[in-house]
Amino acid sequence: MDRPAVRFSHVAKRFRLGETHDTLRDLLAYGVRRLLGRGTGDGRSTFWALDDVDFEVARGEAVGIIGPNGAGKSTVLKLLAGILRPDRGAVSVDGRLAALIEVGAGFHGDLTGRENLFLNGAILGMSRDEVRRKLDAIVSFAGIERFLDMPVKRYSSGMYARLGFSIAAHVEPEVLLVDEVLSVGDAVFRLRCLERMRRLVHSGTTLVFVTHDLDQMQSICGRAIVLEQGRVAHEGPARDAVGHYMSAMSRAFADRPADLHADDDGRGGTVELLDLRWFDADHEEVVWVRPGQGIRAELTLRLVRPVRSLVVELNMRAATNEPLLSLNSGRGDRMFNGDAGVHRIGLRLPEIPLSGGQYFWNVRIWDAEHGTTLLDTPFRFPMVINDGGHGTGALCLDHEWSFDSVEAATAASDNSLSLQGEGWGEGALVGVTPHPASPLKGRGAGGEYPPGLGGAREDLPVR
Amino acid sequence: MGHATFFSELPRLRALLPVLTWRDLRVRYKQSLLGIGWAVLLPVSMMLLFTFVFTRAIGGASAFGVRMPYPLYAFAGLVPWTFFSTSLGNCVNSLVANRNLVTKVYFPREVFPLSCVASALVDFAIALLVLIALIVYFHLRGDWTFTPTPALLFVPVVLLIQIALTVGLGMILAMANLFYRDVRQVFSIAIQLWMFVSAVVVPLPHDGSFWAKLFALNPLVPIISAYRDCILNGHGPDGGAFLYAAVVAILFLIFGWVGFRRASFRFAECI
Repeated sequence: MDRPAVRFSHVAKRFRLGETHDTLRDLLAYGVRRLLGRGTGDGRSTFWALDDVDFEVARGEAVGIIGPNGAGKSTVLKLLAGILRPDRGAVSVDGRLAALIEVGAGFHGDLTGRENLFLNGAILGMSRDEVRRKLDAIVSFAGIERFLDMPVKRYSSGMYARLGFSIAAHVEPEVLLVDEVLSVGDAVFRLRCLERMRRLVHSGTTLVFVTHDLDQMQSICGRAIVLEQGRVAHEGPARDAVGHYMSAMSRAFADRPADLHADDDGRGGTVELLDLRWFDADHEEVVWVRPGQGIRAELTLRLVRPVRSLVVELNMRAATNEPLLSLNSGRGDRMFNGDAGVHRIGLRLPEIPLSGGQYFWNVRIWDAEHGTTLLDTPFRFPMVINDGGHGTGALCLDHEWSFDSVEAATAASDNSLSLQGEGWGEGALVGVTPHPASPLKGRGAGGEYPPGLGGAREDLPVR
Repeated sequence: MGHATFFSELPRLRALLPVLTWRDLRVRYKQSLLGIGWAVLLPVSMMLLFTFVFTRAIGGASAFGVRMPYPLYAFAGLVPWTFFSTSLGNCVNSLVANRNLVTKVYFPREVFPLSCVASALVDFAIALLVLIALIVYFHLRGDWTFTPTPALLFVPVVLLIQIALTVGLGMILAMANLFYRDVRQVFSIAIQLWMFVSAVVVPLPHDGSFWAKLFALNPLVPIISAYRDCILNGHGPDGGAFLYAAVVAILFLIFGWVGFRRASFRFAECI
């Protein structure tokens, strides 16, 4: 039992860049170039997607793998699943394995839901009898009872994804690998998927979970590994790993400010976006934002011609692409009257009530008089909110706890509860000491309310 | 688990093969009016076509040394040939067409070419029933007599040798096409030529010429002739030639399969 379920020892994986010869003509051309001495050396045309990555996952443990795009997260999963083979090092998985790298991989559009269910079940390693036994459970979990005998090419993308996940979730593997698949489907289904994964973990399944959603990850995994550029940058308790990841992200943004001058900033149009910066109360430029911090945006625009009723809109999305916030200068009937030339527009936000993570802004500019959009950038202005890795849940609100004792005095009543800690986030109860309650500082999703033990009434101010 | 060995993966392969074969058949005949009827219609229409060519357009097939009703001769060749060419035609594309599975799920990749051969085998079995009907028809008509002999018992051996050759070649083609997409184009031309040098619809020359010697290297000639000998001519196959074909087939199976396994860990990144 002491053998780890997953062992990834000093693994390196190299990929080729470009030079894959898909047709014989390429190969011949490449051969000729090599002969003439103009060949590209192997070193230049390959890169190491993973370099000396080393970790283990104990039986029954749930481990998250996080990191920016291209850090090698999916490569780790594909190596674990056996789809890829390492160039160096060794990978071993002990136990029946199911990998959910893409929902519904192998579905055939012409086959019905039922037929695909048997097909996909077999592909994921279930026997025919097993699928037959679990059929009702799978179908009702996916909620597609009525469409079971319809070809999946007529399914909505949500139904398709639900069926795909549902099959994989019923494989009951000993080791489950999940890659960023919960971004599909609606919110309710996503929650049920998480619940299902949590239950699998409770019943002893080993889980390796790759995701961008740090909340999802923290809610399931006790430990996490941060990958950066193919190396393990951090490994430890999920919260610490998230904190590490967020500070790394903040640093990365400090080094490389958002590239403001992409083609879609309206060059050649009526409005050109010259600059977008964030400042704090001391007029210092902000690299990352602390929850609750007041900030100010400054947009610099150039108008090619006068615009009588200019409306500016700043929109924010989560890293998962969900729209979170839309701030529209036209909402209070504030339209700017802009002559041709350069203008600076300010926007003050007393605070952004969001928990830690990476967010993206876009800028939209309207001509309200003519009802035309003058500029609409993609969501590519990043903002990192750094709460030190404590937040789960999307929101971070001012809040206040109170603590009253309603009935006093049994023998044990001396043991009052003390609440302490920099408690941000879930469950701010830290310890039980024989002192009256001390002030609790807290932000974020609340914890369990303490059971009714004796103690003095105390209001607990927050922040 | 470590990295799966051939034997540790066999159960998985056995479980998946019927499922993917069933998928291939199901998809092939779905949304088609005739459905599985095409398994009958394709070789029958080919047989009619060649019967027309060799009895009406060019003149008697007896000129080539065919001593039985020509439709019977042609059909007995076309049934195993169709099995062979359909299998390989599907194998060539099998990995590339399943790119999604190759890059997203792991299981023994052999199952793709194997299921192509298996689903063509189902068509083969159906076409064999038509051959039996044709034999009964010509026997009853009286211009040719069918005599059952113990040589019939050798047919399964011939089939096994043909399957070995087909699987070996199919694996080579499937992986070659994964690395170089030209393979499919070259294959579609080569398979046409191959038919005419395999004694499918017309016997090959036996005159000891250079070409006759070259054609004799084709392992498919003894295999297709063996079906005809065992079923229609009532005697066993030409021993030496068939043994040669069997050895070639088994070598292809071994080298094809081993090569496929060795290359298979690169499939996901090269596809």
